[in-house]
Amino acid sequence: MKESSVSLLAKSSIWKKSLNARTALLYLFPSILLFSVFVFYPMFRTIYLSFFLTDQHGSAALFVGLENYTYLLESQAFRNSIKATILFVLYTVPAGVILALFLALIANEKLRGIGFFRTIYSSTMGISVAASSVVWLFLFHPSVGMFNRFLSLMNLPEVQWLLDPDWALLSVSISTIWLNTGFSFLILLGGLQNIDGYLYESAKIDGAGYWYQLRRITIPMLSPTLFFIITISLINAFQSFGQIDILTKGGPSQATNLIVYSIYREAFVNYQFGTASAQAVFLFLCILIVTILQFKFGERKVHYQ
Amino acid sequence: MKKNVRLLFLFSVIFSMMLMAACSNNESKPEPSNPNDEEEGTAESPGKVEINFWHAMSGAGQEALDSIVSDFNSSQDKYTVNAEFQGSYEESLTKLRSVGGTKDAPAITQVFEVGTKFMIDSGYIEPMQSFIDKDNYDLSQLEENILNYYRVDGKLYSMPFNSSTPVMIYNKDAFKEAGLDPEKPPQTFNEVKAAAEKLTKSGEQYGFSMLTYGWFFEQLLATQGGLYVNEENGRAGDATEAVFNGEEGLRVFNFLNDMNKAGTFGNYGTNWDDIRAAFQTGKVAMYMDSSAGVAAAVNNSPFEVGVAFIPYADDIERQGVAIGGASLWMSKGIAEEEQEAAWEFMKYLTTPEVQAKWHIGTGYFAINPAAYDEDIVKAEWEKYPQFKVTVDQLQQTKPSVATQGALISVFPESRQQIVTALENLYQGADPQEVLDQAAEGSNRAIEIANKTKK
Amino acid sequence: MSFPKKIVFYFLLLFSAFLLFFPVMYAFMISFMTGGEIMQGKFFPQTFTFDNYFRVFERLPLMKYLINSFVVSAGVMIGQLIVCSMAAYAFVFISFKGRDFIFFLFISTMMIPWEATMIPNFFTIQKLDWTNTYQGLTVPFFALAFGTFLLRQHFKTIPKELFEASQIAGLSRFAFFWRVILPVSKTSLVTLGAYGFLTTWNMYLWPLLVTNNDQVRTVQIGLKQLQSQEVATEWGVVMAGVIVVIIPTLLLLFIGQKQLQKGLTQGALK
Repeated sequence: MKESSVSLLAKSSIWKKSLNARTALLYLFPSILLFSVFVFYPMFRTIYLSFFLTDQHGSAALFVGLENYTYLLESQAFRNSIKATILFVLYTVPAGVILALFLALIANEKLRGIGFFRTIYSSTMGISVAASSVVWLFLFHPSVGMFNRFLSLMNLPEVQWLLDPDWALLSVSISTIWLNTGFSFLILLGGLQNIDGYLYESAKIDGAGYWYQLRRITIPMLSPTLFFIITISLINAFQSFGQIDILTKGGPSQATNLIVYSIYREAFVNYQFGTASAQAVFLFLCILIVTILQFKFGERKVHYQ
Repeated sequence: MKKNVRLLFLFSVIFSMMLMAACSNNESKPEPSNPNDEEEGTAESPGKVEINFWHAMSGAGQEALDSIVSDFNSSQDKYTVNAEFQGSYEESLTKLRSVGGTKDAPAITQVFEVGTKFMIDSGYIEPMQSFIDKDNYDLSQLEENILNYYRVDGKLYSMPFNSSTPVMIYNKDAFKEAGLDPEKPPQTFNEVKAAAEKLTKSGEQYGFSMLTYGWFFEQLLATQGGLYVNEENGRAGDATEAVFNGEEGLRVFNFLNDMNKAGTFGNYGTNWDDIRAAFQTGKVAMYMDSSAGVAAAVNNSPFEVGVAFIPYADDIERQGVAIGGASLWMSKGIAEEEQEAAWEFMKYLTTPEVQAKWHIGTGYFAINPAAYDEDIVKAEWEKYPQFKVTVDQLQQTKPSVATQGALISVFPESRQQIVTALENLYQGADPQEVLDQAAEGSNRAIEIANKTKK
Repeated sequence: MSFPKKIVFYFLLLFSAFLLFFPVMYAFMISFMTGGEIMQGKFFPQTFTFDNYFRVFERLPLMKYLINSFVVSAGVMIGQLIVCSMAAYAFVFISFKGRDFIFFLFISTMMIPWEATMIPNFFTIQKLDWTNTYQGLTVPFFALAFGTFLLRQHFKTIPKELFEASQIAGLSRFAFFWRVILPVSKTSLVTLGAYGFLTTWNMYLWPLLVTNNDQVRTVQIGLKQLQSQEVATEWGVVMAGVIVVIIPTLLLLFIGQKQLQKGLTQGALK
C-alpha cells in the first residue's frame, strides 16, 4: 500500500531514494539509541564476559574460551536449574492461562454486578511482585500460615510449602500464577468481548449447548488472544525473579533455583560475572528457541478473522 | 516532503536535547541539595563536613541506627552523617564495588563479616589501625573476642559494629513437661540428641531445629576447634582449600543427620522469621538462633524461654564461638576531612552510652563491655536475664584461629554450598557425601578467586 | 439465563473472587494486628488499631517514596508513549529496506532477560553520573519492544485510505502522525500508558541499585527496608506497608479497568 503512494514521489537520485529510510531512521532513532545503550551493548558485553573469568572487581581477568560453558553443562547445579526452569514454565503457563480463561468466561456473562467481579479478577495486575510475595510468604508460613492452619482444621497433614523440595517449586508457581492472573484475565476478557454476538445467536438457533459453543466458537475465535497471552506468559515465566528472591532464595536443595535467579546469585553474591554471563547467554538462547517454536507451531493453529 | 523531514528532524532534535538535558544531571533533582555532592552539602551549613554511611540494616536495626546517627549529628556541629540503606549486604557490596576507591565512595560502609577478606584485598579501604595509632585510641576498652575477628596480622582493619553469636534457645515449659531440668540445658551433641528425643511429640513438637544457614555450621565447627579452610583458617595466608569436610565437620553433619532420621529435628528452612515463629508457637522446643534474636524470642513466646551455649561434640573441650554480623569500613581515596569525620563517628559509636542503646535496641552485642554497666542495660538485663548467657559465652571463648573465624574472599559462595549440603542432608543424603560436595564447590570458587587475583 | 444457571455462575464468581482476593484481605487483616496475634495465626484482629500504619509512616518517608514512585512511573509512561509510538509509526507507515529485520531486532529484545543485562546497565548509569536521579530510573525503560509491538498492531488496523487522503490533502508525514494517527489510537495509547505505569511502579531491584539515598527512591524499596534479617521482623508493620503500597495502583486499576481492557485487546490481536 505504501509502495504506491511512495512511487508517486520516487525520484531517480539515490539521495531521494533513501529518503524513506532516512525518515524512518529519524522516527526510530530514539528507540534504536536506547536499545543500543541499554539492551544490545550489555548483551554483547555479557557475551564477551562469558569467555572470561572475572576478578573480585568484576572485570575480565582471564580468558578461558568456552570453559565457562563446558563447566555449566557439566555442573549438576546448572542442570538442576534448567530442570527447575522447565518445570516452572510447565507449572505456570498452562495453568495460568486456563485459570485466566476460566475467569474470563465466567466474567463475560451478562449478570448483575459483573463489573465488581471483573475488577476483583483484574486486581492482581496492580499488586507488585515485592508486595504480593511478602503476603504469600506469610500464607505459606510453616507454623502460622493460613494454608497450614486450614489443613490442620480439616485434619489433613501439614505441608512444608516452601521447605520441602518437592513442594517448593509448586508453591512458588501457585503464587506466580496468582500474580499473573490479572493481566491474562484482562486480555482474555477483552478478546471474548470482541467476538461477534451473532455467532452465538445462530448457534443457539441450531440448539447448540454451552460446551459446544465454547469448543466450536469461543476457543477458535479467541485463538489469536490465546496465542498472544501464551507467548507473553512464556517469556514472563522464563524471567521470573522477584518471587523467588523473596519466597525461597533458590532453595530448598536448589529446587527453585531458576536460571534467572542463578544468574543473579552468581553475579551479586559470588561475583562471578563469567559464569553468570554464560548462563545469561544460555537463557537467551532458550527463550529464543521457545519463542520461535511457539510462532512456528502455535501460530498455525491460530484462527484469524 | 521537505517540510515534514524538517519537522521530524526538529522533533528528534528536541528529543535528543531532552536526553542531554537529563544528562546534565541538575534538572530533575527534587531538592537542591544532593548529599553526594560535597560542595552543595557544605554550602548549606558552612564549615560542616558531610559524610555518607552505607548500611544494610533494615527493620528494627535501621530504626536503632537512624536514632544513633541523628544523636551524633546533634551532639556536635562539625560533622553530619547521612545513614543510607543500600539493600542486603550483597547488594550493598555490589554497589560499593562500582565506586570503591574513588571519591564517590561513602566514607563508611557496613560490610558483613564474611566480606572481611574481600575488603582487605580490595584496596578500597583505610585500615582502622592507622587512625587508632594516630589518635592513640585505647583499643583495650573494646571486647577482645570481637576485635579478634577483624584483626588480621595484628592490624585492626575495620570497626566492629553489629556483632552477634549463636545461642541455643529453648522452651522451659516444654522441658518441665518432658521431665527435663529447665535450668540445666543439654550441652553436648549427645545430650541435645537425648533431650530432643524426649521433647519430641509426634506431629506437634520437634525437639531441635537449626536455621539452614552456613553460619551455624561454622560455629559448631569452631566450637570444636575445627578449621574451615587451610592456611590456619586463611589467617596465615591466602587459603587454597576448604577443610571443613574433615572429622569435625562430619560430626556436625552426623549430629543433625541422626536427629533428622530419628524424627526429632524440625526443618524450618532458611528464613529467620520462620524458625522463630515455629519456636514461638511451640512447634520446636530447642533451636539455634542469633544472640540478636533473644529479646524477641522472650517477648513473643507465651512460655518461659531459656538461653544456653551452643552444643559441642562429646569428649572435646568447648572452644567457644566466632563473631558474626558486620563491621564498619572506612574508605580510602576520599577527602581527609571526611575520613576525619568518619573516625569521629566511629569513636562516638564505641562509647558505652551509644553501645548500651544499640544493645538494647537490637540485641546485638555491645562492642564496648563498659556498656553493660550502664543503667539502661542493667534494667534490661533484669527483664531479660537470658542476655547474660550470650555475653558469657562470648567472653568465655578461647582465642584461637578456629574461633577467630575463617578468612576467605569467596565466603558468601561457600556459605551457599553449605546451605545446599544441609538441605540435601535433610532430604536423606549421606553426610560425608554432601560435605565433600560442598567442599568441592568451595574449592572451585577459591581456585578461581586465586587465579584471577592480580 | 435460567435461574439455576444463574446460581451456578454466581457461585463460581463469588468463589473465585474470594480465592483471588484472599491474599489481599489477609494482608489487610494482619496490618491491624499486634505481634502476638500474628504469631498465633489469627485471621481477624481483636481490635482494629492503626498503630502499624502510624509506625510505618513514622519509620519511613513513605509519602516521599510514594511521590517518587509516581514521578518515576509517570515519567516512564510518557517516555514510552513517545518513543514507542514513533517507532511503531515508522514500522507501519514508512516502507524502507530492512524494515522487517529491524522489527525482528526490536522484538528480540523482549527475550533478553533484564537480570542478565542489569549489571552492565548499572555501570552505564554510573558512568553517565545518573545515580540518584530520576533519569537513571526512567530513561533505560523508554524503549519497549512490547509497547512498539502493541502500537504497531493497532496502527495496522488504521485504514490505508486515511494515509492516502492525507497525502492528497498535503499533510506532512509528521502532521499525519501527530494529528491523525495519535488521536485515533487513543485507546491503545492509554493501555500502553497504564501498562508502563504499573510495571514501573512495581520495579524493585533496579531502583535499589541506582539510588543511594532517599532523594528519588520508590515505595518498593521501602517494603524491603521494613523486613529485617537477623533481628525479628514486625509483620504487622510490613503488611501495613504492603497495603499502603498497593492502594494507589489498585485505585488506578479500578478506575481505568474498562479502558485498559479495551485497549489491550485491540492492540494485541488484530
